Amino acid sequence: MSGQDLDTGDIAAVPQPGAAAPSRWTAFRDSDLLASFLRSKLAVGALIATAVMVALALAAPLISPQNPYDPAQLDLINSNLPPIWQAEGQAPFYLGTDDQGRDVLSAVLYGLRLSLIVGVLGVLTSGILGIALGLVAGYAGGALDTLIMRIADVQLTFPAILIALVVDGVAKAAFGGALDVGPLIGLIVVSIGLSFWVQYARTVRSSVMVEKGKDYVQAARLIGLSAPVIMVRHVLPNVTGPVFVIATINLALAIITEATLSFLGTGLPETMPSLGTLIRTGNRFLFSGEWWIVAFPGLALAGLVIAINLLGDWLRDALNPKLQ
Amino acid sequence: MSAYVEVTDLRRVFDVSKPWLNRVIEREPRRFLTAVDRVGFEIVKGETFAIVGESGSGKSTVARMVVGLLPPSAGEVRIANVSMTDPRQAAARRRLRARIQMIFQDPYASMNPRWRVGRIIAEPIRAFDLIKGEAAIRARVGELLGLVGLHADDARKYPHAFSGGQRQRIAIARALASQAEFLVGDEPTSALDVSVQAQILNLMRDLQDRLGLTYLFISHNLAVVRHMATRVGVMYLGRLVEVAPSRDLFARPRHPYTRMLLDAVPDLAHVGRARTPVSGEIPNPIDPPPGCTFNPRCPLANDRCRTEVPALLDGVACHAVQEGRD
Amino acid sequence: MTEPVLSVRDLTVAFATRRGLLTAIDRVSFDIGRGEILGVVGESGAGKSVTGSAVIGLIDPPGRVAGGEIRLGGERIDTLSPAEMRRVRGKRIGMIFQDPLTSLDPLFRVGDQIVETLRTHTGLSARAARARAIDLLAEVGIPAPERRIDGYPHEFSGGMRQRVVIALALAAEPELIIADEPTTALDVSVQAQIITLLKRLCRDHGTAVMLVTHDMGVIAEAADRVAVMYAGRLAEIGPVASVVRDPHHPYAVGLMGAIPTLSQDADRLSQIPGAMPRLTAIPPGCAFNPRCPKVFARCRVDRPEPLPVGPSRVACHLYDKAARAA
Repeated sequence: MSGQDLDTGDIAAVPQPGAAAPSRWTAFRDSDLLASFLRSKLAVGALIATAVMVALALAAPLISPQNPYDPAQLDLINSNLPPIWQAEGQAPFYLGTDDQGRDVLSAVLYGLRLSLIVGVLGVLTSGILGIALGLVAGYAGGALDTLIMRIADVQLTFPAILIALVVDGVAKAAFGGALDVGPLIGLIVVSIGLSFWVQYARTVRSSVMVEKGKDYVQAARLIGLSAPVIMVRHVLPNVTGPVFVIATINLALAIITEATLSFLGTGLPETMPSLGTLIRTGNRFLFSGEWWIVAFPGLALAGLVIAINLLGDWLRDALNPKLQ
Repeated sequence: MSAYVEVTDLRRVFDVSKPWLNRVIEREPRRFLTAVDRVGFEIVKGETFAIVGESGSGKSTVARMVVGLLPPSAGEVRIANVSMTDPRQAAARRRLRARIQMIFQDPYASMNPRWRVGRIIAEPIRAFDLIKGEAAIRARVGELLGLVGLHADDARKYPHAFSGGQRQRIAIARALASQAEFLVGDEPTSALDVSVQAQILNLMRDLQDRLGLTYLFISHNLAVVRHMATRVGVMYLGRLVEVAPSRDLFARPRHPYTRMLLDAVPDLAHVGRARTPVSGEIPNPIDPPPGCTFNPRCPLANDRCRTEVPALLDGVACHAVQEGRD
Repeated sequence: MTEPVLSVRDLTVAFATRRGLLTAIDRVSFDIGRGEILGVVGESGAGKSVTGSAVIGLIDPPGRVAGGEIRLGGERIDTLSPAEMRRVRGKRIGMIFQDPLTSLDPLFRVGDQIVETLRTHTGLSARAARARAIDLLAEVGIPAPERRIDGYPHEFSGGMRQRVVIALALAAEPELIIADEPTTALDVSVQAQIITLLKRLCRDHGTAVMLVTHDMGVIAEAADRVAVMYAGRLAEIGPVASVVRDPHHPYAVGLMGAIPTLSQDADRLSQIPGAMPRLTAIPPGCAFNPRCPKVFARCRVDRPEPLPVGPSRVACHLYDKAARAA
């Protein structure tokens, strides 16, 4: 029947006036979000996998047998060793070495770290840019809204990787291609940021347009608060839910974009390889039998992206009331 | 006695045109909706003036213009002798802001869900800088919660912990936080169950008696209006068709629309009543009929009604009544 | 006494949630006879809509009928398979919902929707079904039905759409119509037209109607008998004049007193303190006991069963002669 007047989703007892207020922690413990999370074995698995990979990446300098970025630690005598379980395998190179004598396990752990750093920074950049533009477009409306959203429309017609390549190319042409690693990471982060802000801006804009029509925003206008104050104090905190979903899914995309840039040779250099760079260099050895040089970075990248994506999918479903 | 609120010739036109590109391709002109047309009334200090009307009558648009949420297309709103539109009186208007508050229809949308109740109620106090010091503000919030029948400890909870009626009490407490003397209620009880509606209506009347509040009460529910109002204005398609003291309006409705409306309301006293069927529906406000907008549904309509807009004279805007044809 | 069209005995509906089993409807019994309109009233959360959903076998999971029986024309329908129940809906039970747009497919002409229903359930030929559809539209008061039958739902006004939905509900000459808030989305003047129409049609066709609404005014005008629900239980059921003018259950008394009317002057509305309990926190004994002005010890432990009081049945220990004698 159309309007069942039974609210099964919201069944916490109404506290009587004067009863103690629940803390944030008990509220979270009793929330439907947590229950839905624990019910979904896939989501729990994805979270554990992501957490393990993040922990490994953070601990890379502590647990890696060698520092793959330090040429002094590389020895050509150890080059092209297979993984430990094969006849010619040698400790401590558990996953083998490449043609420079670089330990694949160490390279993967350091590469994972770089990929995550670039991914997280890229998501932060695109998120901040997109949220700010979306807030302004949605709250101001009119010509400013039209301008921002038309730019977004135009940008959506190009693949994100193309935009990243263009930004990257233009910047390298301007700086003469001799960038240090730090600015290079910054450049990749900006490339990713400029490629992915549209989705945030669109989502935030439509949420803002819903929220600004609500009476609590009108009530804030009535006491004479200015538009920027209302946006930051009232509207922004109420539009962050969908942003988290996009950010999670975009983290996977950002990592892939960085890997693609590196694979195409416009990303991080071979002296400081990310997962994408490792796959590019390893690719050369695929047909000469040294499969491990490309396989382990590839598996690490695939595992990380799949785990983050599953987590994002679950978050999207859990936060979407229409699917419950 | 001079009026506290004076509304003269208030008018509001909305542009409901399609986007520019669609208009060019489909060769359509711009379209305008006159939501409120030449509405004028006065509210005396301490009384409850109610505006009653069906959907599309423009009653909520009037409310939003009176509190200043929506600029009028024409006409003027003066409250406590301060013009709400004149740019020269901006400073006086800022001082007056705190005195005017609104209670909204949907108690689930009228407060920021991420704020605790205490912060919601204290927001006007902080915005107008009425009380210094956190402890004093907290004490005042507790006092306000007590005034509306809640407990001071409720300030620490979030809005979702409260029922609709309790939230409407919180909304009233917030409205009173800035020492408001004029409250505009836009259908403040129509989202509530009847037993809760009775609690809120009683509370609003008690507070009026205790604090000398002046109300502008917007509702589609005639019985609620009769219970609350000192004087009533009836709106139809953006125009005020009748204004009268509540007692007179319900005892002797004059405008044909008011009579029809009173006859149509399902009421508890009408058990098993055989009703006089009312014909027709409200026309599209984008394209209202010429002359008196009620003429297609009016049993008294003649040629003059179909061409000439009746003015509100002596509390009723109807040619038939003014000519003695009713 | 002839057999009732709908007979509901000890209906219990439970929702399985992760916080345990919630009883939304708790042992509710009532009958509706031929040509009779039973009004089911209650505030939000009272379970009135769920009762309607249970009768038509459309309770959303995780809810299910956990006990009791529902008979239509003497035959049990709560045990039918979903496929059998689909045939009963539309053929033997018609449905009218609050929002007419949910019952009408926006992509099909209204005539085609009525013709489809007629052909599915009565086996009329295409030509005969179209002629019947025009008759039905004329019967529900759609002007120029020969022309309007080829219109799409969006071309009809709100009131006209609800008329189409009524025509659709009546198409297969059902024995019973479930009308869930059929007038709530409509303007007052249109509400009256729809109530009058519903009343006339069910008299003419001898259709039993279960009219679910929160609007006591609508019930007072339309219903023959009224069932007052509270927290998933039946508080009082009886003839409309008796329940509205002379209610017995303290909740029904409070509810009637809380409704402002057009005819009485009351300075204060009677109000019931507190709010209806949520399903997780229904008190032991009588569900109304924490809010009841006449509560006594037995109410807190012993759940009252509906017992005859005059022409009504009332679930209240006050009217239990044995208890008062003791």
